[in-house]
Amino acid sequence: MPSLIDKPRLMEKLKSFHDYVRKNNGQIGTKQRGIDLNFNNACNLTCKYCFTNSPVGDHAKETLDLDMVASIADQADELGIFEFDLQGGELLLRPDLLFQVLEAIQPERFYLYLTTNGYFLDKEMAQRLADAKVGRVSVSIDSFDEKTHDDIRGRKDSWRRAMEGLKNVQEVGIDPYLNITVGHYNADSEDINMLCQYSDDNNYTTLLNVAVPSGMWLKIDKMKEVIVDENDKKKLIALRKKHKNILRNLWNPFDKNYEGVLGCNTVNRMYITPLGDVLVCPYVHIKIGNVYEQSLKEIRDYGFSIKHFSEYSSLCLAGEKTEFIQKYMSIDGQSIFNPVIAKEIFSEEDYVDGKNQTPIGVIV
Amino acid sequence: MSNKQKFNKAFMTAFDIEESILGSDLKYESIQEWDSIGHMQLIAELEDSFEISMEMDDIIDFSSYEKGKEILVKYNIEF
Repeated sequence: MPSLIDKPRLMEKLKSFHDYVRKNNGQIGTKQRGIDLNFNNACNLTCKYCFTNSPVGDHAKETLDLDMVASIADQADELGIFEFDLQGGELLLRPDLLFQVLEAIQPERFYLYLTTNGYFLDKEMAQRLADAKVGRVSVSIDSFDEKTHDDIRGRKDSWRRAMEGLKNVQEVGIDPYLNITVGHYNADSEDINMLCQYSDDNNYTTLLNVAVPSGMWLKIDKMKEVIVDENDKKKLIALRKKHKNILRNLWNPFDKNYEGVLGCNTVNRMYITPLGDVLVCPYVHIKIGNVYEQSLKEIRDYGFSIKHFSEYSSLCLAGEKTEFIQKYMSIDGQSIFNPVIAKEIFSEEDYVDGKNQTPIGVIV
Repeated sequence: MSNKQKFNKAFMTAFDIEESILGSDLKYESIQEWDSIGHMQLIAELEDSFEISMEMDDIIDFSSYEKGKEILVKYNIEF
């Protein structure tokens, strides 16, 4: 995270989050944390396991308009949201648009970061991002083996560029995050060990995501191969304790024993698509509103009125809670652009106080 | 426990460091542990230990071990 000295508003929000979590027994509760914004889904790679369906060009042309981006940022700031993660697609594919978006967000108010495949992350781009006050760049790496990574990503030279990109980011003073995806297929592999060690040795932070059966991975027969089991989870806990530079949105970053679990971040981090749809998280393709129709606050309030998203879960709903996945995430054709509508799939028993609290007259 | 001992203990607990690290060279980001996350933990330790609630300007200005002592004087904590 960049120096907070230069970002007093960010410091204020981070302290508020820290104090809330501390008083709430180390749990995230209903405290807002972040926005994951996919403002354009075009991509230069064809990753096998993409959760946004970029490889098939799904809604590649649509972009969220800049006035709406600015409005989302203003609303997010008012709600105390301190993290702003820009995702795609691949946002460095259209840098002119990206830098307009960055300006619209007014990044001095947030811990602003970019998630990228790193293909276009050369020294010049890294410097431009630093100048635009981007605090962190997360580069997704699928394997320590170059060929394996390139095969998954569908393009040669992807691995080399991504690894170089991390160094370029570090050199200009931006936090370098090495993103890894861990599923049952690789949790016990030497590959994951090597990636974590490499990240540690180079003073990066490792952001660990568990594999989720959504997007290109949406096939019910793949679930056992994808979803981490109990042994895999023990491996993840061991990695966390060993390396101490591994973060996961589910985990409490303030716990110095490297054991605390914030809980699943659904609605605490809302995911916004290029169409303005708001999903409860990037991987759970359930829609709770649209920013063109409701305020973020209204959408947030509705989201937390649903028990699954306000009650504490020590498991990631998208990647570990099998019953939830089978019931709500395995609908044929479900995607970020064809999400399931919360109001249609949840019944009264799924709501806090047994009431569907969609504001009257509001379309969800 | 004296105020200085409490002050030192807050740093040692927040950053999981030895007392030998404490001193005039210790500043925000001078060690890996004193990043933004660590800063929040330090402030929380100090607030609990001294039973104070620090103003945001002071939290922002708290940029070093020595500066921290100056700031805490505002809260009637003498060293």
